[in-house]
Amino acid sequence: MSPTAALIKAALNSNFGWSIVRHRLFVQKRDRWMVPLVALGVVGVVPTLVLYVRLLGDVFDMLNSLGQEKALLTLAVLAGQLMILVFGLFYLIATFYFSRDLEYLIALPLKPSQILLSKFAVVLINEYLTMAPFILPALIVYGFKRHGDPGYWLIMPLTYILLPVIPLTAAGLVVVGMMRLVNVGRKKDLLIISGSLVLIAAALFLQFGLSRAAGTSDLDTQQIMSMIASPDGLVQTIGRRFPPAIWATRFLHDGLMTASGLSAFALFSGLSILLFGGLMAGAQRLFFGGLVGLSERSGVRVRGGKALAIKFSSGCHPVRAIFLREVRLMNRTPIFLLNGVLGVLLIPIVLALTLSSSKQGTDSADILRLMTSAKPATGILVTTMFMIVCATLSGVASSSFSREGRKFWISKVIPVGYRQQVSAKFLHSSAIALLGIGSAVAVLALRFHLGAWQWLSSLALALPVTAFITSLNLAVDLARPLLDWISPQKAMKQNLNVLIAMLFDLGFLFLYGLAFVALGKSGLSLGAVIGIMATFGVGLACLAFTLVSQFALRRYPSIET
Amino acid sequence: MIEIDHVSKSYNKGAVRAVDDLTLTVPPGEIFGFLGPNGAGKTTTIKMIVGILKPDAGTIRIAGLDNGAEALRCKAMTAYVPDEPEIYERLKGIEYLNFMGDVYGVSGGERRNRIEHWLQAFELSRAVADPIQTYSHGMRQKIILTAALMVKPKVFVLDEPMVGLDPRSSHLLKEAMREHCDGGGTLFFSTHIMEVAERLCDRIAIIHKGRLAACGTMAELRDQAKDKASLENIFLELTET
Ligand SMILES: Nc1ncnc2c1ncn2[C@@H]1O[C@H](COP(=O)(O)OP(=O)(O)O)[C@@H](O)[C@H]1O
Ligand SMILES: [Mg+2]
Repeated sequence: MSPTAALIKAALNSNFGWSIVRHRLFVQKRDRWMVPLVALGVVGVVPTLVLYVRLLGDVFDMLNSLGQEKALLTLAVLAGQLMILVFGLFYLIATFYFSRDLEYLIALPLKPSQILLSKFAVVLINEYLTMAPFILPALIVYGFKRHGDPGYWLIMPLTYILLPVIPLTAAGLVVVGMMRLVNVGRKKDLLIISGSLVLIAAALFLQFGLSRAAGTSDLDTQQIMSMIASPDGLVQTIGRRFPPAIWATRFLHDGLMTASGLSAFALFSGLSILLFGGLMAGAQRLFFGGLVGLSERSGVRVRGGKALAIKFSSGCHPVRAIFLREVRLMNRTPIFLLNGVLGVLLIPIVLALTLSSSKQGTDSADILRLMTSAKPATGILVTTMFMIVCATLSGVASSSFSREGRKFWISKVIPVGYRQQVSAKFLHSSAIALLGIGSAVAVLALRFHLGAWQWLSSLALALPVTAFITSLNLAVDLARPLLDWISPQKAMKQNLNVLIAMLFDLGFLFLYGLAFVALGKSGLSLGAVIGIMATFGVGLACLAFTLVSQFALRRYPSIET
Repeated sequence: MIEIDHVSKSYNKGAVRAVDDLTLTVPPGEIFGFLGPNGAGKTTTIKMIVGILKPDAGTIRIAGLDNGAEALRCKAMTAYVPDEPEIYERLKGIEYLNFMGDVYGVSGGERRNRIEHWLQAFELSRAVADPIQTYSHGMRQKIILTAALMVKPKVFVLDEPMVGLDPRSSHLLKEAMREHCDGGGTLFFSTHIMEVAERLCDRIAIIHKGRLAACGTMAELRDQAKDKASLENIFLELTET
């Protein structure tokens, strides 16, 4: 095998990890419970896919009646390439900047373009998989709906394979260039945080912009008429900013046997090859330069002069020490910070913006209407739920043990009782939940002008339930902590425990809501209902905390690292 | 004193027998070396002593206390230095040391004296204000050692402590080990470096494929082996497959 091929094979294997899955399932006999879960997931996806295909069929029919059916292709290609551009940027940054093996690979006798190629191949396969469920159905539906053109079925897979090359190489050039210009190695943390904040801002902006645009259509009737009148009108309008989408539409629709199709194909593949070649050539010159300093970690080191005054603490209670450790580890790891402190502060604001920007008749508008409902009981229940969701959605508690990762051994050897360790974790998760509730209250009071009585009552209900859910989520993570990770992403964002805990939480909130409504209908005064539910919440919270402490005593000793 | 009594441990639901019916006593006041080829079960044994792994069978006692039933009291007496210096990278060196001081309840004055002494000795005084993620492998190991020496417990358990240390630090560590045992402390450490074991240890156990192959002072080991020239030869003879 040539070195390039071997490298690509190794990169693919380490990324799509079939051998590690095989090892875990058959040798270690772990994670077997995942198999039915995955099967369930696949089964769950099928109806969604069927629905999507139906929708596509309808869109085709609609466009067809206007003589604009080609626009479906343009839309699919454009959507696909946009997706690739956006995801590609992230995948590429992740694989170029954050994969640990780069340091070893540089040391091997390999050309930069070979390393880049292997990384690129991984991202490319990722892209094919990511966009398959969205784009393939559109291309296939189009093929079936436009009866009888066998040529299409040859061109379509080819198009699919070529589709990611242009946007991905464009993204690649941007990333490689950026690597050269900015010494990101030292500023990784900053890069992640600022990048994510920009992304959130962009999402919010889109959300706003789209709902505004949908509300007041800027296109006047005349423009629409003229767009529909010309056979390529819609295609041109959609693809105006991005000609390759138009080219792809042309050769998919006309086939390669026609002059227009062939020329479009030549343009499309020509640009692909050109960009790809450019990236590989650029790699020779830029890639290694950018890699220098990649393994440097940020951190100010003062050289020369006197040694810094060292801060000795003169001792504090172990629970406080562990609490402090939790705070520091969370706030200094960008991914955790974004999901933790920043996350809970932002979620209420984002939710509020979504709620207030949506049109009448949508779900979110309904929620807002319920919250400010004339019926105080409904209003209080909905605001309570809002607060709880803002406080606990972040996954801080349900990844509390997982976040320790390979450092978990420290928790097992230090002479601090497991109950105390869980208490510290409970305090930390609760502190972050409180931030979320605080942010939610601020949004409710300042943005939606809810009366003090309403949010104070909701607060009385939400606080004990939040404490209960925090204990519950801790227990979920404690039952099966995910400790073997390198990228912190795995511990929080991709942690199944967070998802499982969320399902539990939602189930509980549903039951809690039912109980509240049932109690309200029994003829008790609203004050009494709130009093009963709050007391009930406090009882549950105490019980759950006792149980999770007890569970820790049993569970900790058998977590082996 | 550490007493390991008929302890077994396997991985992967019994597929790999890492430690097989091991019985050992580590008396106080002696440097006890634990030798064995790669994969012999040294790390597994050590992790059971400090409570990271739970034995499948058998018991481990530290100063007479069962380390399962009396886990907390055992841990308070023990400092452990792992083979892989996997510690909180996002903390600064000094924050890690303070954390360890807090959880082991080391008083402010002792903490300051011991930390300053060992940081000086290991030449970490400047780096200690930096995040641990900027440390090299050896520096991480030294910060863990500093924490252990600050705690100054009755029992030291060290897994391959010399690997990755520079000669000077390695020398300092050996002196500290000697001093600890001369003061009546217990010390158990694993290694596969024969010279270190031969010169440093008062007592040696050799483990092979999870089973105890030999145990005793250098003189006793010599009596057991045919080729008595060096520990290396004894080791090779005992661990032949
Ligand atoms: N986490 C683990 N999972 C499966 N097998 C393991 C694990 N850790 C160690 N082993 C196996 O147990 C045996 C003993 O390992 P270890 O105690 O680390 O040896 P040593 O420290 O003496 O080199 C080896 O065969 C090793 O493959
Ligand atoms: Mg080992």
